[in-house]
Amino acid sequence: MLKHLLLTRDPIDHAALRAGRIATPTAGAVLEFLGIVRGSEDGAPITAIDYEAFDAMAEHQFRKLFDELERRWPRVESVRLVHRLGMVPVAEPSLWVEISSPHRGEAFEACQWLIDEMKRAVPIWKRSISGA
Amino acid sequence: MNQEAVVRVEVRYWSWFKDLAGVDHETFDIVAGNDLGTLLRRVREKHPKLEEVRRSTLVAVGVEYQPENHLLGDGDEVSLFPPVQGG
Repeated sequence: MLKHLLLTRDPIDHAALRAGRIATPTAGAVLEFLGIVRGSEDGAPITAIDYEAFDAMAEHQFRKLFDELERRWPRVESVRLVHRLGMVPVAEPSLWVEISSPHRGEAFEACQWLIDEMKRAVPIWKRSISGA
Repeated sequence: MNQEAVVRVEVRYWSWFKDLAGVDHETFDIVAGNDLGTLLRRVREKHPKLEEVRRSTLVAVGVEYQPENHLLGDGDEVSLFPPVQGG
């Protein structure tokens, strides 16, 4: 299984990421998920979210999740994940995930599982920013 | 009288736990062979605000989550942080 992980302070260029996908004759399903910063948090307007990470542990925990994903869904051919850190303005993506597999069922299941587990185990935190 | 060996560990605080502790990292000298739970009691005695968030605190040694009976060694880095919020 191809595993690609990037934690970056730069904007997520999902068009470039998509263009970099390696097509295979067996991957009949390619699922792409974008997590976007919403303009409100707990009902109050915000302008951005500032993401902080314990980088070394976040990378380690993501790698463990990728390995577990491979064990659970061995037919998944590739998982690529990019998480942006630092200040992410409203309406811009903070998370990009792509899963390729022969059929859509395992791609949807694996993607949902990976994001749920990320929110349980990967040390990334957010702080809402409001005002100019 | 036996002299107990002392080891030094670094404790790091993340996210808003830095505000509760008032620092982002500090060192503790502990008795060799002490477990994580013993260190956490000392940390919470020093920073009572961290006692208030005890139930929601996540703890790692290095880059792995560890239980309170995990034995600490010299140079270990212990991290305390609130529930994670990626995505």
